[in-house]
Amino acid sequence: MGVLVARRLLQSVVVILGVTLISFIALHAGGDPTYLFVSERATAEEIALVRQALGFDRPLHVQYLSFVADLARGDFGTSLSYRQPAIDIVLGAFPATIELAVFAFVLALTLAIPLGVVAALNRGTAVDGSITILGLLGQSIPNFWMGIMLILFFGLYLRWFPISGQVPFLLPLLNGDLATAFGNLPRTLYFLVMPGIAVATYSLARNTRLVRSSMLEVLGQDYVRTARAKGLDERVVIVQHALRNAWLPVVTMIGLEFGFLLGGVVVTETVFSYPGIGRLLFNAINQRDIPLVQAGVILLAGNFILLNTIVDLVYAKLDPRVTLSRRR
Amino acid sequence: MTLRNLAALVAGLALVGAVVMMTRGGSPAPAAARTIVVGLSADIATFEPANISSRDNMNIAHHIFASLYTLDADGKHVPNLAREMTVSEDGLAYTYTLRDGLTCHDGEALTAEDVAYSFTRIADPANKFTGNAPGFVFSSIGFRGAEALDPQHVRITIARKNPIAFGLLTEISIHCKDSYEKMSLDQAATSPIGSGPYRLVSWSRGSEIVLEKAGESAAAYDRIVWRIIPEASTRAAELMAGNVDIIANVAPDQIAAINASNVAAVQSITSTRRMFVGFNQAEQFAATPGGRAIRDAKVRRALQYAIDVPTICRQLLQVECQRATGLVNTVNANKALTPYPFEPATAERLLDEAGWPRVGGKMRFAITLQAGRGRYLNDVNVVQAIGQYLRDVGVDVNVELLEWASVFQPLLRTRTAGPLFFMGTGGGLWSPIYDMNDLARVDSGTNYANWSDERWFSRWDDLTAAATPEDTRRIVDEMLQIFYDDGPWLHLYFQPDFYGVSSRVEWKARPDERIYAYDARPKG
Repeated sequence: MGVLVARRLLQSVVVILGVTLISFIALHAGGDPTYLFVSERATAEEIALVRQALGFDRPLHVQYLSFVADLARGDFGTSLSYRQPAIDIVLGAFPATIELAVFAFVLALTLAIPLGVVAALNRGTAVDGSITILGLLGQSIPNFWMGIMLILFFGLYLRWFPISGQVPFLLPLLNGDLATAFGNLPRTLYFLVMPGIAVATYSLARNTRLVRSSMLEVLGQDYVRTARAKGLDERVVIVQHALRNAWLPVVTMIGLEFGFLLGGVVVTETVFSYPGIGRLLFNAINQRDIPLVQAGVILLAGNFILLNTIVDLVYAKLDPRVTLSRRR
Repeated sequence: MTLRNLAALVAGLALVGAVVMMTRGGSPAPAAARTIVVGLSADIATFEPANISSRDNMNIAHHIFASLYTLDADGKHVPNLAREMTVSEDGLAYTYTLRDGLTCHDGEALTAEDVAYSFTRIADPANKFTGNAPGFVFSSIGFRGAEALDPQHVRITIARKNPIAFGLLTEISIHCKDSYEKMSLDQAATSPIGSGPYRLVSWSRGSEIVLEKAGESAAAYDRIVWRIIPEASTRAAELMAGNVDIIANVAPDQIAAINASNVAAVQSITSTRRMFVGFNQAEQFAATPGGRAIRDAKVRRALQYAIDVPTICRQLLQVECQRATGLVNTVNANKALTPYPFEPATAERLLDEAGWPRVGGKMRFAITLQAGRGRYLNDVNVVQAIGQYLRDVGVDVNVELLEWASVFQPLLRTRTAGPLFFMGTGGGLWSPIYDMNDLARVDSGTNYANWSDERWFSRWDDLTAAATPEDTRRIVDEMLQIFYDDGPWLHLYFQPDFYGVSSRVEWKARPDERIYAYDARPKG
């Protein structure tokens, strides 16, 4: 396990440098970003001064190498629009995204597994058909439309849930303000319901179908028939023998999915005015706030690497036939 | 058994839901009795006044930082921190007399020394400020210096006489010296200590900004909550649900729903933002037929007759409008000018006369019309409509809709958009010269059309030297006539702005895109 983790750490350096280089080139491909930071009435001389102040007058390779050198010292640079350390701004938005991702993830998973199992156990029946149709619908409905419908029906018409905004839980918790964090918690959850459902719908639908098909495959295996022939309780057969094996493709998928959710869900965050990292980076890209984009990209790339490592470890734990060396 | 587990899970979720329902509340910050909530579409970047360059950002900062004079809703400058101002005979020195008993939010007395410091701090190159104050105001007026003559009098000096210098100086935010000398630039960006009617309580980036009343003022609300709600339909829903009192940038398709809600209504106002299609006369376009054609004033004049602007306003912007006659807001426009009528036959005749007949009865010349996407009210449809109107008179228009920030804006700033380009620029009501200032010099950054008509640009010296308001008006009218006849803009309209206002609140939208919540009052 130690070898795997060490190898992943080394790989992460290469991956992070790669994504920072790609995003750096992409952000500069649109031309000189200086124009976004000067008044529209600025003269050529004033634009030149700002260009120099922001460091955009240097050759591109010098700018990038300077960024990498600063990064090696732990300096992610200063946001061009906020004039604050870029990493502080990114880390400030990240807890909100984690809250939304965890909420949506738990919601999707806790419903997808029983629904998938029930559908598989009732294959060909009306129950199975209903769950399958709901799954198709969940995967077909765009999440921005789902968000707006939730707002109109549950927010505006029924007034059950707040229409937009966020109440922080993790941020005060990380700052050591436990009283505020746990005082906020009920409202944090309350504000998460609608954006959480909007984000979770697709994931719930896909995982339900995945669990169903995986379960169907496993239920037809000899060892399940043997378990039943031995007279084991049906619950033991389903949970300990079938579900455990049906988990494997699901684990791979949900690991990637959680990484995706941690990257921020721009559309949902925008519809619900949710101040997460997706919206922050979307705005930063539009404003070509290069240090802020780079800090965000590094954080997200690091997350993906971490989550993939965890998935590999969990995979090996779930399936004794798979060893870490073989998975690499 | 599995079904039983599922039932238990559903019951558990229902229980959590019930607990959650007990926490119901309308917004992240529940509104107190004297709180007004304003929904904005864009987040702000900083509270450092010298780095602010967007209107949304300035709107909030203006509640925290006062200025020497301020603009009222009618576009008149009224005293604010200063009670009077005198100008030297040569027009290069502006001396302000401050009101008595001014303080900053930390309790420090605000004197002329603080005012002088606020100005010189902006101009200090070591601070590398890039906002509107150093990047536009100071460069426009040729800021020389600021000095305190005594605790109540401060003198601002400029390099050259400028008829709009006084108005531009009102843009400068004032703060105290001691507090800002102690602060780092980072601290100043997030923890302002201002001189205005409200102080900052909290700023949750991307979410909300909370201000509370600082000291005595006539403002009716103790707290202002600015909520960042980027999606127009969500803003409208929050307004109709009663969670927000004022929202900006209402989408035209939501006006009817808001007005029908009985809890809020939409205020429509003609803003000072001038919408136009620019004729870029840059040399680089001269090689193309379209680029060559629009260098001819006769062609530009012909195309004015091709566009039905009132119909565009009615059908695409949901308002009745009068077509603009130039770059100056209607209140200051040349009254002798009448908007170009929609006469496609006249356009065709003038194009024929200008030497651009339909080739084989088809098109006259090809040209590209560029526009940013999603920047202005219903811009995509407006640009498509303009393209079609021009095609109808035989101009083969290729409409290019571009991403605003990364593609179109750089083209504008390098003055290489076009040859036809759609855009809007902010104006004002307080002076025609302020509106005309976009084209103060051939090399002005805002001369996006690379216009170089000597008859226009040579008159700026006359304008600066004008001895009386009547002389100024006469020269302005002459210049506006040139712009109307042969200018670089295809005149369109002043953009309508839509604000949603709760029926709980008395507040009037302003034409200059400024949202001052301290002007609002609870109804009843």
